[in-house]
Amino acid sequence: MTFRKSYEPDIIGFLCNWCSYASADLAGVSRFQYPPNVRIIRVMCSARVDPTIVLEVFIRGLDGVMVLGCHLGTCHYMTGNYYTERRMKMTKKILRKAGMSPERLLVDWVSAAEGERFASIVKDFTEKVRKLGPLGEETKLNPQELKTRLVAAKEALAQEKTRWLVGRERELVEDKNVFGEKVPQEEFDQLMLQKIEKEFAKRRILLSIEENSLSVKEIAMRVKASPQEVLGTIVSLEHDGLISVAGIEGNSPKYRRARG
Amino acid sequence: MNEVRAGVFICHCGTNIGGFLDVPELIEYASRLPSVVFTMDNKYTCSEVGLAEIRDGIAKNKLNRVVVASCTPRTHEPLFRSTCKDAGLNPYLFQFVNIRDQCSWVHMKDRERATEKAKALIRMGVARAVLLEPLEETEVEVNPYALVIGGGIAGMTCALSLANRGFEVKLVEKEDQLGGTLNNLYRLYPTDEEASKLVQAKSEELKKNAKIEILTSSKVKEVKGFVGNYDVTVRHGDEDRLFKAGVIIVATGAETLKPVDIYSYDGEHVVTQIELEGKLRQGKLTDKDTVVMIQCVDSRNEKRPYCSKVCCLTALKNAMLIKETNPDAQVFVLYRDMVTQGTKYEDYYGKARETGITFIKYSPERQPVVEKGLVKVFDELLGEELALPCDLVVLSTPIVAHKDSEDLAKLLKVPVDENGFFLEAHVKLRPVDFATDGIYLCGSAHWPANIGESVSQAYGAASRASIPMSVGHVKTEPLIPVIDEDRCSGCSLCELTCPFKAIQLEETEEGRKAKVIAASCKGCGACGAGCPQKAITMQHFTDEQLLAQIVPLTEVKP
Amino acid sequence: MERKTKAALVIGGGIAGIQAALDLGDMGIEVHLIEKKPSIGGRMAQLDKTFPTNDCSICILSPKLADCFRHPNITLHTLSEVKGVTGQRGDFTVKLRKYARFVDEEKCVNCGDCAAKCPVKVPDEFDLKLRKREAVYPYYLQGVPAVMTIDRENCLYLTRGVCKICEKFCTREAINFEQKDTDVTLDVGAIIVATGFDPYDPSGIPEYGYKRYRNVITSLEYERLICASGPTGGHLLRPSDDKPAAKLAFVQCVGSRDLKNNRYCSTVCCMHATKEAMLAYEHNPRVKSYIFYMDLRAAGKGFQEYVSRGEQEYSISYIRGRVAKITEDHNESPIVWYEETQSSKTEKLTADLAVLATSLMPRRDVEELGKVLGVELDEYNFFKTDPLNPLDTTRPGIFVCGCCREPTDIPKSVTQASGAAERAAETMMR
Repeated sequence: MTFRKSYEPDIIGFLCNWCSYASADLAGVSRFQYPPNVRIIRVMCSARVDPTIVLEVFIRGLDGVMVLGCHLGTCHYMTGNYYTERRMKMTKKILRKAGMSPERLLVDWVSAAEGERFASIVKDFTEKVRKLGPLGEETKLNPQELKTRLVAAKEALAQEKTRWLVGRERELVEDKNVFGEKVPQEEFDQLMLQKIEKEFAKRRILLSIEENSLSVKEIAMRVKASPQEVLGTIVSLEHDGLISVAGIEGNSPKYRRARG
Repeated sequence: MNEVRAGVFICHCGTNIGGFLDVPELIEYASRLPSVVFTMDNKYTCSEVGLAEIRDGIAKNKLNRVVVASCTPRTHEPLFRSTCKDAGLNPYLFQFVNIRDQCSWVHMKDRERATEKAKALIRMGVARAVLLEPLEETEVEVNPYALVIGGGIAGMTCALSLANRGFEVKLVEKEDQLGGTLNNLYRLYPTDEEASKLVQAKSEELKKNAKIEILTSSKVKEVKGFVGNYDVTVRHGDEDRLFKAGVIIVATGAETLKPVDIYSYDGEHVVTQIELEGKLRQGKLTDKDTVVMIQCVDSRNEKRPYCSKVCCLTALKNAMLIKETNPDAQVFVLYRDMVTQGTKYEDYYGKARETGITFIKYSPERQPVVEKGLVKVFDELLGEELALPCDLVVLSTPIVAHKDSEDLAKLLKVPVDENGFFLEAHVKLRPVDFATDGIYLCGSAHWPANIGESVSQAYGAASRASIPMSVGHVKTEPLIPVIDEDRCSGCSLCELTCPFKAIQLEETEEGRKAKVIAASCKGCGACGAGCPQKAITMQHFTDEQLLAQIVPLTEVKP
Repeated sequence: MERKTKAALVIGGGIAGIQAALDLGDMGIEVHLIEKKPSIGGRMAQLDKTFPTNDCSICILSPKLADCFRHPNITLHTLSEVKGVTGQRGDFTVKLRKYARFVDEEKCVNCGDCAAKCPVKVPDEFDLKLRKREAVYPYYLQGVPAVMTIDRENCLYLTRGVCKICEKFCTREAINFEQKDTDVTLDVGAIIVATGFDPYDPSGIPEYGYKRYRNVITSLEYERLICASGPTGGHLLRPSDDKPAAKLAFVQCVGSRDLKNNRYCSTVCCMHATKEAMLAYEHNPRVKSYIFYMDLRAAGKGFQEYVSRGEQEYSISYIRGRVAKITEDHNESPIVWYEETQSSKTEKLTADLAVLATSLMPRRDVEELGKVLGVELDEYNFFKTDPLNPLDTTRPGIFVCGCCREPTDIPKSVTQASGAAERAAETMMR
């Protein structure tokens, strides 16, 4: 990512056919003007937006993402946007973990009648992303480092365990389980955060040993974590069968990605 | 179909696009995109001329992808898709790029940047088009048989109407006779007609109709399948009857709450309105000189916040009947709000007032107190505490869902709301449909309803149910998910996510796997975006097709 | 599909008429949907949000409008009126008058170039005269068919033979002043009436000061003001000075439950007043609303909870008391005089804006339609039905649904519409 002298934010918006895409059309029909920085990708429902796709937008170097759906309770497919809401909440958590400002992901709800509001949402978000600067400006990381972390984040969101947890959130928090209990939202959020942090850590380590086998100390330097933290995650990865010992150097085992 | 040959048609839309974007520059740009073999600009792509140019373009250049950059797919995608179809191209190999409503019309003051954006949008569109696959709409046959569950006024009306339309109907009723709540009522408002006569008339009509099979003392035991193809098991006496149905209508009604430990209810000196109707029918009220009715009993409170709608009118009706049998009787109605809406019912209220019934408004903070032979109430409008000696106290209790409605809900896999009433697909747009295709709802099973409303809803549900049966088939959504069974772990998250019951787990040789019910799927993609195994591919909105559109502006070369 | 039955006729293109037409069309029956105005949508298109879910009215209506327009079995006749009906159930002959739009529906793409040049400015009917429009105009932005219309009563060319600027500037050659009104005959097997309602004109209650005081408006006018696509872009501004309205008085039963005007209850006003107060609060959390009612009627699914939420979360006070009169102070702020029935004291409340919940009445020309159709009206001029056959009019083969039958809410109108479609289909089977 080179710093452009006159930086213009590059933004992708995922808009749902029934509400937000319609509001963008209405803005057009009513001639409400807004900056041309957003390019819209149409989906049928905002729930189609897999969190890994949001990460991919940032991995490709764009500066902002908008995910707009119907107002909660009015989703054309009834419950889709409740899933969008929870998935995007998780996505913001991991963006922060990766070192990016979660403000670069906007999640909002617009009805088909809100043409003017759509235009002002785009104006406001474009300005916000402009102030944040090009992707990564808010971090101390170099572009390659940020990209690696985003890739780790994307892989974490692709993991079965994270997807399973966020998919069950609604049921756990709103309906009762077999014992007649509900999980309080704060408790769930804690659980989700821990899960994300764990998966993110795992993926970072796996990415760091992609090319060469490394020792715990070398990995710790690469991912900028303490050797204790790295060791804890290594144990987890060994347990998952994702990592194996490639050899020993001195007293330290060197780890690589497991084959097969 | 190895080589992708894409044609890009860019519309001027008069001056709406042409006046704000550099269309020749867009054409030139599009022609340099990979896989694009043909480009053309049209004055109005949607005009007869424009559509002919698309058809010609496809034929002459052997195009196997068509991209139109013009207004909005929300109005024009069906038109261009069918134009492609006319030219022999699968309509799902068509891609729309919105450069008017979402570009030229909203960036009117910056031609250069608007054109740059349009280029990017066209590039995104072509990239997706290249990855599109042909899709087929298929049809699933619909059995022209209806199952109506519940033989009250709603069920009977619905069954008769569908039979009159020519469909075979099975009516399943758990009691040993038809009539439902009507069998507990005496006279009906606002016409004073006798409930038993109505039941008799309707039952006769039903029995005479050769297309209706009535199964009383029967309960639905199991329901499998989907719209058009339900396999139903009904327990009839001591045997199981199996049959096929195309559609199912739930008309199971509701019941009146029997008060427990409230207002000294004893079923004799303090009765419910239904018990009162029983007494009236048997002529047992001529000696009651003072009757006090209490409205909103154990209702419109925290436990049960809703208004049951029919109780005010029922009280008025019964109060007037008491006055009819015993003109000197004094009747007091203790109410919070008189709910007599519309034309006929407001008149009914007026009529009741004229017969000398006394209405006393009480507030929920100061509930009436019932002692033996006496009712104490604070009259909100007089501002005074009153003591009413009385011979009979009548409690208007709320309508509540049947205790077994949740069981039926589980059988049919349909939802109930927080009060136990069945939940419709959409409060306004689809009030008698369930979200699951092929199942419909009417009468008090949906919400407390009086007879007129139950009848309207019954006809409404019959109309909706008749649609798939009239057409004979349902079209399946082509934008459906495809399951990679090797990756599917049977975790059932997709089943949990889908509100249409369009993806369900089934036993296979390799264990439980997700299966798509194309006839019920709406193509939203919520399942696919959440699958922990990434075992689901959403046709026409695949991950690859979405990712192909993520093109940074830096890659959009001039 | 083989045509087994005759076509059906649906009179009225509001939500009820649209639903009836869609159901019949989906059943495979050909439908003629007749609408007097230039576009279908009816009253629901004029509302901002709808209770009890507060979802955007036009958003849930638009897909149905599009479905109607594209449906292979539905023929839309806008700017049309039924002028004669002869025959009987199963075999009606209907005379339809189709008024000229002076715009070619096939050519017009709704670009607006014509309106931009039209010199005429007249009060807009859809926006209840709260803003002006040109003589060539879209009936409303999301209307279907999505084409312009020329107002023959105000067009300079059609009244005085001058101008024609629109024709000059239309690049599609869609303006056609040569169009004529035509008469069409249709053969149908059944007819459904779904002509909706007109709001009561509160000028009939001079004590309320409507039209005398600028800040006393009707609920339908309020809906247009609070609607994002309305004349003030959704900002609730006082008509007198364009200042934001923060203290609202909602007066219920205006013209309803009234021995002098309409004895009946209009059913939906307790709910829509609550909704309107909620919408104002959503736009501005400093808004305080006062709803003056007689009996609070919230009997539908989710309605009672809606009202409770209004009271607890949206700063609404429900005051039981009939409003005796409305006056105004030197700031043109309405003063509402009422009897607080629980204390029996006469009180007054000064508000920024007073909203009158006007009665839902039959359309002003309903008597004429009743005669044309040969059906009876009840004493209130609603189409007469009997409680056990609520969708049948007094003439076999003609059915009725929605507010022209009795004031009712959207869910019931939609249900009745489906029901009427079923009755029509049933009728044509015999």
